[in-house]
Amino acid sequence: MSARVLSLEQPAERLGASRELRRYVRAYARSASSMAGLVIVAVFVVVAGIGPWIVPYPEDARGAVHLERKLQPPSAAHWLGTDEVGNDVYTRVILGARVSLQIGLIITVVAALLGVPLGIVAGHVGGRVGETIMRVTDVFLSVPALVLALAVVGALGPSILNAMIALSLVWWPGYVRLVQAKTLALGQETFVEAARASGAGRLRIVLVHLLPNCVSPIVVKGSMDMGAAILAAASLGFIGLGAQPPYPEWGAMISHGRNYLPTWWWYSAFPGLAIYLTVLGFNLVGDGLRDLLDPKSLA
Amino acid sequence: MKTPRALPLVLLTLTLTLVTTLAVAPAPAFERVGDKKILVFAGRQEVPTIDPSVKYDWSIRMMQQALYDALVKYVGNPPEIVPWLAERWEVSADARTWTFHLVKNARFHNGDPVTAEAVRWSFARTLKLNQGPAWMLSDFLKEDGIKVVNEHTIQFTLGQPYAPFLSFVPWWYVMNPRQVLANEQGGDLGQKWLTDNAAGSGPFKIKRWQQGVLYEIEAVESYWKGWPSKDHVGGVILKLVRESAVQRAALLRGEADIVEGLSADDYDQVAKMPGIAVPNFPGMTTFGFKLNTQKAPTSDANLRKAIVHAFDYDALLKIYNGNAVLQTSPFPNATRGHIAVPGFPRQDLARAKEFLAKSAYPNGGIELEYVYVQGLEEERKMGLVLIDNLGKLNLKVKMVPLTWPNMVARGSKVESSPDLLAVFTTPVSTDPDAVAYQYHKNSWGKYYGSHFYQNADVWGLIERARTLAKWEERAPLYADIQRRIAADAPEVFGMLANRRWGMRDHVKGFVFSPVRFTGEVDLYPLAIVAK
Amino acid sequence: MLFGLLCLTFAISHVVPGDPARLAAGPDANESMVQTLRAKYGLDRPLGVQFVRYLGGVATGDLGQSLRSRNAVLDDLLRYFPNTFELVTLALLLAVVVGVPLGMLSAVYQNTWIDHVTRVVSVSGVALPAFWLGLMLQLLVALHLGWLPLGGRLGLTAAPPGPITHLLFVDALLRGEWRTFADAAAHAVLPVVTLCFPALASIMRVNRAEMLETLRQDYIVTARAQGFSGFRVVTRYALRNAMIPTLTMIGLRYGWMLGGTVLVETVFDWPGIGLYAVNAAVSSDFQPIMGVTLVIGLNFMLANLLVDLAYGWLDPRIRRASVR
Repeated sequence: MSARVLSLEQPAERLGASRELRRYVRAYARSASSMAGLVIVAVFVVVAGIGPWIVPYPEDARGAVHLERKLQPPSAAHWLGTDEVGNDVYTRVILGARVSLQIGLIITVVAALLGVPLGIVAGHVGGRVGETIMRVTDVFLSVPALVLALAVVGALGPSILNAMIALSLVWWPGYVRLVQAKTLALGQETFVEAARASGAGRLRIVLVHLLPNCVSPIVVKGSMDMGAAILAAASLGFIGLGAQPPYPEWGAMISHGRNYLPTWWWYSAFPGLAIYLTVLGFNLVGDGLRDLLDPKSLA
Repeated sequence: MKTPRALPLVLLTLTLTLVTTLAVAPAPAFERVGDKKILVFAGRQEVPTIDPSVKYDWSIRMMQQALYDALVKYVGNPPEIVPWLAERWEVSADARTWTFHLVKNARFHNGDPVTAEAVRWSFARTLKLNQGPAWMLSDFLKEDGIKVVNEHTIQFTLGQPYAPFLSFVPWWYVMNPRQVLANEQGGDLGQKWLTDNAAGSGPFKIKRWQQGVLYEIEAVESYWKGWPSKDHVGGVILKLVRESAVQRAALLRGEADIVEGLSADDYDQVAKMPGIAVPNFPGMTTFGFKLNTQKAPTSDANLRKAIVHAFDYDALLKIYNGNAVLQTSPFPNATRGHIAVPGFPRQDLARAKEFLAKSAYPNGGIELEYVYVQGLEEERKMGLVLIDNLGKLNLKVKMVPLTWPNMVARGSKVESSPDLLAVFTTPVSTDPDAVAYQYHKNSWGKYYGSHFYQNADVWGLIERARTLAKWEERAPLYADIQRRIAADAPEVFGMLANRRWGMRDHVKGFVFSPVRFTGEVDLYPLAIVAK
Repeated sequence: MLFGLLCLTFAISHVVPGDPARLAAGPDANESMVQTLRAKYGLDRPLGVQFVRYLGGVATGDLGQSLRSRNAVLDDLLRYFPNTFELVTLALLLAVVVGVPLGMLSAVYQNTWIDHVTRVVSVSGVALPAFWLGLMLQLLVALHLGWLPLGGRLGLTAAPPGPITHLLFVDALLRGEWRTFADAAAHAVLPVVTLCFPALASIMRVNRAEMLETLRQDYIVTARAQGFSGFRVVTRYALRNAMIPTLTMIGLRYGWMLGGTVLVETVFDWPGIGLYAVNAAVSSDFQPIMGVTLVIGLNFMLANLLVDLAYGWLDPRIRRASVR
C-alpha cells in the first residue's frame, strides 16, 4: 500500500538492528490501514486474554441452559440478545475470541513447523528427497484447502480438535512452496556461494544464511494465515464439522443461528461480524508487513 | 497521471455490469400448475431409491406408499390395520399360519392384475435381497413358507408362532413381477431399475424423477380402490428444500403447500400466519438417553438412577415449546398395551443425590460422555440441558456429536458404547413387541440396543409374549415388562415429540397416523379445496 | 500427480471409523443385512484390494456408489457438477468484469477517494466469511426486501428445460424458455455475488498493484510523452501487462472458488457438488467425498494449465522462452 514507496534493496545485515527496526516501525505507522489492523488485532488479543473477566454471564460459555429467556432480542441485560437456550450472545461472542485465537495460532504454527523444514530440505538438499517433497506438496495444493479439510474431518468425525488437525494438515504445503522457492533463489546468491566455498557445513548454511532470510516472507504469510485459518475453522464450524457445543466458536454459532433467521437475526449476525473484524485485522496487519518486508510478492 | 478519457469507458463497463446484474433480478411470479391442482411438498430429505425391498425412511416410504399398495394399511390415530389389497384374512390359533384373500379388481399401473403370485414374488424378493424391511420378518418367514393357494389367496406359514406378524405386513409393498423382471439387469432382480421406476398398483404413478431436485407423481384417476374425495390432488411434487428458512418462506408465499422439518420455534411462528395450518399430533417417536448398563461408570445402577432423577424432563417440553409429552413408560403411548408406570422418574434432586451417595461415585467428580447425531438441533440442546442438570451432582458431561453411522458403530459394542447415547426411536409397528424387543438380548448393539440391557426375567417375558395369539394373554405380560424395564433404569426415558407440518389451509383431508415416520404424510386422502 | 491425488483421497476416506455398510442398511437392519451389503460393496476386503478396485474403477469411469443414496457417484457428479460449474463461472466472470476495471481505476486515481473505497472493498472481500455474507444477503435482500428468492436453483415448480448441455442457463436459452431463464437468473444472483466477493477483492488488488508498477515504467512514461492519449496507454499497454499476474490470480481463484462453493452452496441450497460433498461428509459417505475431491482437483489442474497457455498469448516473451 502506501508504505510501498519504501524499498529495501540492501541486504538486512548491513543496517544496525535497532536503527532498522525503528525505520520499519516508522514506515509501518505511516499506513493508516495497517495501523487500523494493528488496533483491531490488539483489541482482539486483549479481549481473548481478559474475556472471562469482562463478560456478564461467564457460565453461558460452558453450556448453561436458561430456557426461560431464550431468543430474546438485544437489550440492556443482553447486549446482543440471547440464543436458543437462553445464553447471552455477547458473552459467547467475547469468549469466542479466545477460541479463535487459539485455533489461528495452532494451525499457523503447526503448519509453519511442518512446512518450513520440509521447504528448506526440498530447496537446499534437493535431489530425490526434494523432488518427492515437492510432488506431495503439489498434490495437496491441487485441492482447495477447505475441500480437503472437509474430507479429513468428514473421516475423523467432527470436533474442534479434528478440525485443527485437518486444517494444519492441509495448511503446511503453502509454507513448503514458499520456503523452497526462497531457498532455491538464495542458493544462487553470492553470500551463500561464498559460505559454501569457505567450507561452511550444510547445517550452518541453513541456520545462519538461509533461515534468517526466509523469516520475513514467513512472518508475512503467517500473519495473513492467522486470518485465513480463523476463517477456515469458522467455515468448518459452520458446516457442522468444527467446534461443537457448548464451545463458543463463532462459525458454529452462525451455523446454529442460521436456523433462527430471519426472526432471531442477532444470533447469527454478531458472531459473523466478529469473524469479519478479526480476519480483517489480521489481513491489514499482514498487508502492512508485506509492503514493508516483502514488497515484491503477490497475493 | 490524469486520464480523463478513460473514465467514461470504465464507468460504462461498471454500469453495464450492474445493469446486467440487476436486469435479471426480478423474480418471476409463481404459477399454479393448471387445473390439476398439484400439491407442492417442500421436504428436506432426498428419495434416493423407491425400491420397496431396499430401503425405507420417511421420504422414501411416503413415495412408496403413494406408488405401491400392500396387503393391509395403517390408517388413523390410533393406528388401525385396514384391508387393502387383501379384503380379509385369517390367522391360525397358534399364530403361525396367516391366510390373506385378495380383492379381485386391483390392477398394477400397466394393467396387469394383482395376483397372489405377485404377492408371493414380492415377499420372496425382499427376503432374498435381505435389505430394507427384510429384518421385520426374516427370522420367521422363509421363502418356502409362502404359498399361493389360488389366484386370489395367499398363505404364510411362519417358522414359529409370531403374533406381531400382521403389524409388519403394511410395509411390505407388492410389486409387479412381470414388469420388474422385464427390466432386470444381470440378475439384480430389478434393483437398478426400481431405484427410480415403480411397478406398483398404488394411487399415484411417477411423472418426473429428478434425483436430488424434485420428484413428481401424478394421481392414477382410475385407481382400483377409487378416491376418497372428488377434490383429490392431481399430483404431488416433492421438492427438495434443504434450508428451513427457504421452506418457511416458500410456505408463507404459497409456493409450497406442505413443509416438514421446521424447528419448534419456527412452527410456532408460522402457525400464527394467516392461511396456514399446523397439524399438531403426539407422535410415536420416543426420545431418550440410552445408558450403557454394562460398562463403568453407568454399569452402576445407583448412578443410573441418580441420572434419571437429576434430569430436568420439563426442559424437553420447553425445547419443543410444549409440543411434546413426557414418556410415562418405556413404551410410546400409541403402542398397544401401554400403561403409565407408577413412580416413573421425574426430576427430584434430593432423590438423585441419595442414589448418587449409594453409588460408587458418592461425590461425583467423573465425566460422562454424551453422544448424539451431529446436526440434530434438538439433541444438541438436550445435551446442553444434561450438562446443566448433571453439573448439580458434580458430574461432568462431554458432548460428542457423531455422524449417524459412526454413532451406530460406537453403540454396537459394550466397550465402545457411550455412557449416554441420544436416540430417537420410531417403532415400525404398533405391536408392543416392536418396542419390548429393543430390550431383548438380540437387540444388543443396535442403535436402540446400545444400553446392553441385561435382565433374563424380562427377556423370558418378551419371548413368551410374542408367541401368544390372544391379546388378553399378552397384555398383562407387557404391563409387567414395562414396569420391570423402568425399574432397572437402562435409559433416561424422555418424551414423545409432537409431529407437526406447516400446511396451507386449502389442503384438506390430511389423516394423521402416529405409526408413520416424523414428516411422512399419507398422500392418498389429501385434497386441495381452493377458496 | 493424478495418482497422488487418488492415493490421498483414498487414504483420507478410509480412516473413517464408522461402518458405511450400516449406513446403507438403514437404522433397523440386522447383522445379516449389514453383512449382505458389506459383501456387495466389497467393504469386507483388505484395504489393498479395495484400493486396486478403486483405481480400476476410476480408470473405467466408475467412481463407486454412494452408500447413502445408492446412486453411482459418477451419475451424481454429472448431475451436480454443471450447477457448480455455472455458479463458479458466473462468479468468476463477475469478479473479472468488476474487479479488473476497479483495479485499473484505483491505480489510475491512486490515493483519491476512488482508490480508498476500492481498497476497503478489497480488504473486506477477503475477510468476510462467505457463508455469513450469504446469510446476511439472504436476510436483507431475500427476506427483508423480498427482491430475490432465498435459495435453490429454480422456483419450486419451475420445470428445468430439457437437457442439451446440462447447463441450465444455456439449455434455457437454447430452448428459448425465457421464463425459466429469468427464474434461474433470479436464483443465481445472490450466490454468484457471495461467491465472487473474495475473488473480486484479490483480482482488484493484484490488478491495481501491477498497474501501478507498470504505469511507472519507462516505456509508459515515454508513450505518454509521445502524445499517446492517456486512455490508450492505460488500456493498450499498462492493462495488458498487468493482466499477466491478474491472470495467475484468476486461475488461482478458480480453484479457491471451487472450495468456496462448498459454503455458498450450503447457504443457498444450490444443488452442486459442494452441497453434495457436505451432505456426504456429515454422514460419513466416503465414495462421494472421494469423487468430489477428485473432480475439484482435476479442475484445478486444468485451470492452471489454461492459465499457463494464456500466459504465452499475453506475453510474447514467455512464448519465445518456452520455444527455446
